[in-house]
Amino acid sequence: MSLPLRNALIALAITIVLAGTVAYAVNYLNDARVADLSTIEDQLSIDTLSLDTQFSLLEAAPCDSAASSTALTGELSDLGNRLAYAEGQLGSNDAQVVRLKEQYSLLEIRDYLITKQLAAACGTKPVTVLYFYSNAGDCADCDKAGYALSYLRTTYPSLRVYSFDYNLDLGALKTLISLDKIKKGSLPAFVINGKASNGFTSLPDLEKLFPKDALATSTPPKS
Amino acid sequence: MLPPMSPNLLAYPFLFLALFFESFVLVTLLSEPARKARARRPGDEEPSVAVIVPCWNEESTIAATAESLLALDYPVDKLEIILVNDGSTDNTRAAMDRFDAHPQVRVIHKENGGKHTALNAGIAETSAELVGCLDADSFVEPDALREIIPFFARNEVGAVTAAMSIHQPENLIQHMQNAEYTFGIAMRHALASVNALYVTPGPFSFYRRSALEAVGPFRHGHQTEDMEMALRLQRAGYEIENAPRARVYTKSPDTIPKLIKQRTRWTTGFLRNTLGEYRSLVWNRRHGVLGVLVLPVALIAVASSILLFTIAIVRTVISLINAFQIRSGIPLSYALFPHSTFDWFYFPAGSFAFLAAITVVASISLIIIGKRISQTPGGLKLGTISYVLLYGFIAPLWLLRATADATIGRHRGWRS
Repeated sequence: MSLPLRNALIALAITIVLAGTVAYAVNYLNDARVADLSTIEDQLSIDTLSLDTQFSLLEAAPCDSAASSTALTGELSDLGNRLAYAEGQLGSNDAQVVRLKEQYSLLEIRDYLITKQLAAACGTKPVTVLYFYSNAGDCADCDKAGYALSYLRTTYPSLRVYSFDYNLDLGALKTLISLDKIKKGSLPAFVINGKASNGFTSLPDLEKLFPKDALATSTPPKS
Repeated sequence: MLPPMSPNLLAYPFLFLALFFESFVLVTLLSEPARKARARRPGDEEPSVAVIVPCWNEESTIAATAESLLALDYPVDKLEIILVNDGSTDNTRAAMDRFDAHPQVRVIHKENGGKHTALNAGIAETSAELVGCLDADSFVEPDALREIIPFFARNEVGAVTAAMSIHQPENLIQHMQNAEYTFGIAMRHALASVNALYVTPGPFSFYRRSALEAVGPFRHGHQTEDMEMALRLQRAGYEIENAPRARVYTKSPDTIPKLIKQRTRWTTGFLRNTLGEYRSLVWNRRHGVLGVLVLPVALIAVASSILLFTIAIVRTVISLINAFQIRSGIPLSYALFPHSTFDWFYFPAGSFAFLAAITVVASISLIIIGKRISQTPGGLKLGTISYVLLYGFIAPLWLLRATADATIGRHRGWRS
């Protein structure tokens, strides 16, 4: 065997070993991400159970000051971000991603319902936003709407924003969609304190959909 | 319908090829022929040598170039220096005439005809056994010639190249080129050990006179007469060696536009020579590593760099437009800053990033090896950093320009 051929074969072996090592490392990291998603799954189960318990407790004491709101807003946002990233990495059709999104949506609906129940019992006036989007390529303005809502949620921490993938095959979500009369062709769609609207043009137009003084009563925007 | 293919998938074969080629170079550096070449020391042989300095409008550097040649450690009666003024329009004539009285120096003034005609005019004036070239903007170490001579020991060797570095790099662009040249030292040394060099650069390459007589005089060679001559020697069955400690320093472009002009000329010359007269060398097993690996990889590298650069530019522009559209109307105090803390969960660790990182590490290793085997003085930290960060963005620009020129048949001037 000639020296160049021998060197080429050694180089090929080195390259294959390196590529294999990279493939293994990437697979390992993806497994770690999936394991992280399992943790999210556990968290979602615990949160769902916690909200169920809170529901039951409120039947006995509808307006206890200590339980006048749920504390899931920040956690929901973090879980939502992780799910969106996992969806981008693993794909919208990944079984685990779909299952987690379903659980996440259920948790959001429960939190929304309990927030409404507490508001009715205690006379508080939380501002809730149901946001319906689609990432199936049929909603040109969904990214813009989502970013504008992220800005509003960061700027006004008391806002309770619940995001739902319109295309998720989940009974409770379909009921919510049907109750709020959201049509697929009208995405992005918002239900702000029970009032439905659709389409996104600009942040000022979106802000106009909020009840008067709803945004001004929260933390003022940073200049 | 098939799903759209990720641009990353398109990049994998090229990354794999780049990694394979760098591995091949590293393995070859450790092989016996390269080890023997590194161990070779100057001997007692002192054949007659002529160094030709073709010159066109180099009034500011020609004197220092000639002085560095006169300082070479070599018997005076065995070394002649031929300065050829190729119809310069500045004060090069006067700068050259200062050396006319020197017994070792011969000065030739001729009508402008191009670098190859200046080299041929110089060759015609000498009967030396070995004929060297030195660009008029380059300077040699005193021991460089003695390092070159032992590599002509075997009769099959038709030419020997030196180890080039950048002369006194000042700005970032020049430091980047210095790292690139040092990378080239390792690459040239390794490939010479398997006779796979396809260029004998202007700065201090030497030719056996009999080889030049056998293959004929220098030609225009699409403005790359050094590459054309090297390919011609290879086709004729000669070997091209490399003396890794024969240090020569060359002036370099100090701005990106000047660099792009220089490299466009080199790349266009490469494409026109290898896809034109010397096409028969590509994929030709008779020419060993040069024919089967080096020339095909060099051609694929041009195409893949352009392809991947274009994809990267298009993706970046689309991302920027999307980011701008998404953020339009949102206060800048929010839109301009990220709103998440670092979390390993979001770490973008894909195969593409890992393979690219390994390729970069291999390149840095070759830069370090190049510096060590040539024993080139000076730091390379800034050069290596700028090479890693900038080169990949600038090189595709001249590759694109050169490929376009070669495709549409556009011919540019030497410095345009």
